[in-house]
Amino acid sequence: MIRQIAIVSLLGLRSLKTRLWQSSVIVIGMACVIGVLLSMLSMTEGQHNAYLRTGDPRAAIVVSRGTEWEIASTLPRDQARMVLTAPGVAKDSDGAPIADMGITVAVPAIMRKSNIRQPILLRGVGAKGVMLQPTLRMVAGHMFRPGSRELIAGVRAKDQFKDMDIGSKVILPNGEWPIVGTYVTGDLLDGQLLGDAETLMPALRRKTYTTVLARLQSPAAFDSFRRALTGNPALEVEVMRVPEWNSKISKDFSAFLHVFVYGVGAILAIGALFGCFNTMYAAVGSRTQEIATLRALGYSGFAVAVSVLLEAILLSVSGALIGASIAWGLYDGVPSGFASDVFTLTVSPALFVTAVLWAIAVALLGGILPSLQAAGSTVSDALRAR
Amino acid sequence: MKYLPLVWAALRRKPVRSIVTFLSVTVAFTLFGLMIGLSATIHTIEERARADRIWVWPRFDNVPMPVTVARQIAQMPGVKKVTVMAYLQSYIGDPKNHAFVSFVDDEFGHMFTDWGPKPEQWETIRKNRMAAVIGPQFAKQYNKKVGDVLTVVAPRTNRSDGTHTWTLHVVGIGEESTQNSYPYVFGNYDYYDKSVPLADQGKMAEVDVLTADPALAPGLAQKIEQVFANSASPTQANTEKTLYGAGFGGMDVPTLTHQIAFAGLMMILFLTANVIAQSVRERRTELATLMAVGFSGWAVIALVAAEAAVICIAGAVCGSVIAAGLAAQVPSLMPRGWGMPLPTLSAAVFFWAVGSAFLLALASTALPALRLNRLDVASALAGRA
Repeated sequence: MIRQIAIVSLLGLRSLKTRLWQSSVIVIGMACVIGVLLSMLSMTEGQHNAYLRTGDPRAAIVVSRGTEWEIASTLPRDQARMVLTAPGVAKDSDGAPIADMGITVAVPAIMRKSNIRQPILLRGVGAKGVMLQPTLRMVAGHMFRPGSRELIAGVRAKDQFKDMDIGSKVILPNGEWPIVGTYVTGDLLDGQLLGDAETLMPALRRKTYTTVLARLQSPAAFDSFRRALTGNPALEVEVMRVPEWNSKISKDFSAFLHVFVYGVGAILAIGALFGCFNTMYAAVGSRTQEIATLRALGYSGFAVAVSVLLEAILLSVSGALIGASIAWGLYDGVPSGFASDVFTLTVSPALFVTAVLWAIAVALLGGILPSLQAAGSTVSDALRAR
Repeated sequence: MKYLPLVWAALRRKPVRSIVTFLSVTVAFTLFGLMIGLSATIHTIEERARADRIWVWPRFDNVPMPVTVARQIAQMPGVKKVTVMAYLQSYIGDPKNHAFVSFVDDEFGHMFTDWGPKPEQWETIRKNRMAAVIGPQFAKQYNKKVGDVLTVVAPRTNRSDGTHTWTLHVVGIGEESTQNSYPYVFGNYDYYDKSVPLADQGKMAEVDVLTADPALAPGLAQKIEQVFANSASPTQANTEKTLYGAGFGGMDVPTLTHQIAFAGLMMILFLTANVIAQSVRERRTELATLMAVGFSGWAVIALVAAEAAVICIAGAVCGSVIAAGLAAQVPSLMPRGWGMPLPTLSAAVFFWAVGSAFLLALASTALPALRLNRLDVASALAGRA
């Protein structure tokens, strides 16, 4: 049986040349579908990666209860301090907890490309704040000095916004703060500004923190850490693992993008399905006599049907790979972002796999009826056909 | 007209192929309609955005500003009217079910006539403290009707009675508004202000300013920022025009949608061209017969083109209708409480679809037409290749 399928399929492939134009419909159609789909998915994938690539599984975040965004959170000093001493927080060599009370605000900035004003996040951190960002590395200038009116900018913030270079000044309520350095972390922080929390708070006339970040003794310590905080009636806080928090805040935006991307992808795929159907139908039509001859020689209808499906899959998958490669070539690694929410467009191997699976599904659905037709034709009628 | 039966017969020759081609063209134009419709909506939104309105927010955080800021702005030269607003970030039943309530003062409805609610609905909000006018998207997502009680929970806003629960009465469902495509809820500012603890009263989240002359608006916006720069409430002020020109989080939606629509059309162009070519190949003898009985080469090509045009235009019409139907379903696909601009399937978009369909038909006939023009009638009739 396998031998039969192989022979019939090879025969079909050899005659592909004569059906070059027809067959290219599937290839080009699929390349269009997958090209468009992956170009858009590179955005969701890139954003997803940026949010979840916050490495350390021991990192936890504490914000005030019911908070949708970090900047809307308010943690009074006494509550924030209670988090530092909660059970499960890792200790530094000096015995101090590796946890940091921070403040995050949105500051208006002008985008370089469009001249449009968009908010950029300014994050004030304390003594352990930098330690909690193990990937942070200065690429130019120097680190801000605690107690002084200095800020440092992430590389992507510097690239995307005006006046974020070393020497530029950021306007805060108590005057201008110079930027003294540029850093890179490889994650979302690259689109933000950093400064000293205790100096920023009076400048912003704020008495409350927004966030406490903590490193736990182990990933497993999270549950007891959370229970201790949420069970404490003096605290009105929410405790989450950092990736969990990130996916929560990106969720609504991703939902919009997903509706858009998968909606468009599904419609395109249905179009491709019909295209595939039409092509395979025509292919079977033009091979009627050839197929009938094979059946007369004793090849089973099943082998013929499978070979038709295989051909559809081959064409569809090669189209998908072309489309995916184009999307990869155009967009993989391209920096992108929505305002200060920076990420890198990513066409990952996983997306290639998605593309191939999508192509196989389209080929199977589009090829099944033509293949049944090929298998079911009466030999005598088909041989007589012109 | 008398050749219509010929076109019809050609289409019925291979009904499966005609139907599948028609379906794929329909699908392509569904996508085309949605994409061009979305881009048309975004264009409309940018067009309609008012150059004479300025939106003022706190500059560094979303901590409410005192209403005195609004009074001070009202005194500035060039300002015609100001209106203040407070927001309530809340949910219905489950924190997943967002509800964003805007409590507006008496002036708001006069200034934002393009925001959805009708004049008499704004009037009800002014008179009835607990009234709420909801948007059609909100009504659909949460299944709310006029007369219903709307109870929302706002965990981050304290009420003077110690609870976080707000009760509103739905008195009207406003109209869909391109400028305010969110599932909106409007309430009475006074109700909000008197419900929060004394310390939080007299605060607002946003001031909107109507200027006497749109040309003065950008300068006035700058002035508003300067005046409050060193105050306890630094502000940021943007004209509505610049805010709406900023696009969706910096994403260039029109370019994106046009690219997608184009990719869809290319795919279908290829498919139809192929189908037409195939059917011309199969009917060489028939077409040659037509020529032999006196049809000119161009007449035969026109027949083939008409065949393609029937399929493409029918597909364009059906696709646009389906797109309109799908566009109406978009709000129910969004997470509850969230919205996006809906594609508008206007006459212009429809016209574009039919025009593109016609061009598509012409383009897909082009290659087979060349071949027909070179057709040697005698050998085709004899069945020689």
